[in-house]
Amino acid sequence: MNAAFIFGLLIALMLTGMPISISLGLTVLTFILTMTQVPLESVALKLFTGIEKWEIMAIPFFILAGNFLTHGGVARRMINFATSLVGHFHGGLALASILACAMFALVCGSSVATVVAIGSIVLPAMVAHGYPMRFGAGVIITAGSLGILMLPSIPKVIYAISTNTSIGALFVAGLLPGSLLTLMLCGVTWYIARRNNYPRMGRASWLQRLNFFRKSVWGLMLVVIIVGGIYSGIFTATEAAAMAAVYSFFVAIFVYKDLSLKQVPKVLRDSANMSAMLLYIITNAVLFSFVLANENMPHRLAEWLLGMDLGQTGFLLVVNLILLGAGNFMDPSSIILIMAPIFFPAAVQLGINPVHFGILIDVNMEVGLCHPPVGLNLYVASGISKLGITELTKAVLPWLITMLVFLVIVTYWPWLTLVVPRAMHMM
Amino acid sequence: MKVLDRLEEWLIAALMGGATLIIFLSVLHRYLAATAIPGVQDWMLQLNFSWAQELCIIMFVWMCKFGAAYGVRTGIHVGVDVLVNRLGPTARRRTLLFGLLAGALFTGSIALLGAHFVWDNGARYAFLHVLGIEGAGFEGPTTPDLEWPTWAVYSAIPLGSSLMCLRFLQVAWSFARTGELPRHDPTHVEGVQDDVPLVGEALAEGEQRERREGPDGGARP
Repeated sequence: MNAAFIFGLLIALMLTGMPISISLGLTVLTFILTMTQVPLESVALKLFTGIEKWEIMAIPFFILAGNFLTHGGVARRMINFATSLVGHFHGGLALASILACAMFALVCGSSVATVVAIGSIVLPAMVAHGYPMRFGAGVIITAGSLGILMLPSIPKVIYAISTNTSIGALFVAGLLPGSLLTLMLCGVTWYIARRNNYPRMGRASWLQRLNFFRKSVWGLMLVVIIVGGIYSGIFTATEAAAMAAVYSFFVAIFVYKDLSLKQVPKVLRDSANMSAMLLYIITNAVLFSFVLANENMPHRLAEWLLGMDLGQTGFLLVVNLILLGAGNFMDPSSIILIMAPIFFPAAVQLGINPVHFGILIDVNMEVGLCHPPVGLNLYVASGISKLGITELTKAVLPWLITMLVFLVIVTYWPWLTLVVPRAMHMM
Repeated sequence: MKVLDRLEEWLIAALMGGATLIIFLSVLHRYLAATAIPGVQDWMLQLNFSWAQELCIIMFVWMCKFGAAYGVRTGIHVGVDVLVNRLGPTARRRTLLFGLLAGALFTGSIALLGAHFVWDNGARYAFLHVLGIEGAGFEGPTTPDLEWPTWAVYSAIPLGSSLMCLRFLQVAWSFARTGELPRHDPTHVEGVQDDVPLVGEALAEGEQRERREGPDGGARP
């Protein structure tokens, strides 16, 4: 009864289009006022203590680092390097942009930032080279979603916070699946490009490749800082994020000089705006899950799910379907904050590894980012390419299907995600 | 109002930059203090950075509360607009207005609750102490590392929430009058012109290569 009331109210409030954070908060307030004896002041206190966790602070730092990377010329040099590597294949520039997205994803934790950083440079170049805009946009939208799968990723941090999973393990767990997705996307792109005979570029010599690598190495060094730092225990994940922010600031201003000091306050303000929005949802979601836990709901839901006797395979299928469905209404952070605490207890009882479960959720979020009505990658790509959403939806289909196949592989082949963190003794 | 707007923008940017700098310095300090450089190490050991983490958290929570208020003004708070966009103009207008007022209601009540909490947990004592009256209420707890009074730290909730409430009312008022909402537009990407294609270095380099290698080694049609 209580559960029906809480979720009914939440969904009703959300459908009015008010911010998700506000609907979460209002649901909690109404519930506490009418149906429990929990003192109201604990709500106000929870709003502060809810985000008083050191791990959460990684989010603003990663957002700041991502903004410096996007505006700081790191993406451009990665594209040049990638083009020199694969430009001579069929659809070379498209393959290069996938590879550049993967490289950028290694150092950036947001898929929208990846689409902006790589797409705004590569899409016009592709059109100038004679590719149809639709083809390029389809490639960029899906390849950009690698941003939240490879190494650092904001959804992974959020999952780690709401389920107490190791952030470091989640980061490196995305490495192998991310590489597989890169290969699969490249394969589809190459096939389409060959059939349509899209242009190829000249083959670069090894000397040129080395030269481009040298120029992009400043950006790629961030991988060493993040993974090396966390792995060797030099920093915590949050400190690594702060170091990444300072390092990318340094590279953007003093090494590449693509950003002037005058633009820094704007970058800071935009990052603060974005982080405050995310932190505000997190605070209210913490409040929401506090109320849920107070009513013992995750536990009861876990028992109900286990009582259906689905087994691991069936349970994962149901979770995938629910998450894909939720991807039609909400953004990744909100979905993870609301859903992860609910499904997590049941997943653990079924013997699913928490890191594997996190990556699975992450891949679901990637799919949600690439299709309407809320897929942000699609909207950003539409902003760059000036193509309508309907046309882009059709354009993205071949790669979207590839991603769904990839989702099935990730779901039912845990080895793929778990081998790297296990080899690094991070779990 | 203009002053408040500037102050808000300046505050959140400064908190963001400041927190990053503090954590960077504290990590740097930890490693400088651990490496044996004569002179530097002794100096480093005298400095104490154990409060950095706590201060960073406090700064980010403040940034979050005031940034959320700024976010109402820039329209960055995401909602589920799938259904609302299908409604007729009048119904859509009413629903959106309801959403904005609900936002004001929530932030307003949080501001009140927070103010009450802060007042009871030391603010009353502190104010009366300044006025010379002793013994009303109690002094209230302090934070573990910095030993700042928690009421001062937690006052981010009433201050930030009342500002946010004000912003919601402002947006609701201007929406009721003009029918326009502030919209954060993630699809607007800087550096992309409308008709002139922005040709990256990749393209230029590719063409140079083709020219150098002649038509045979270059791009095939």
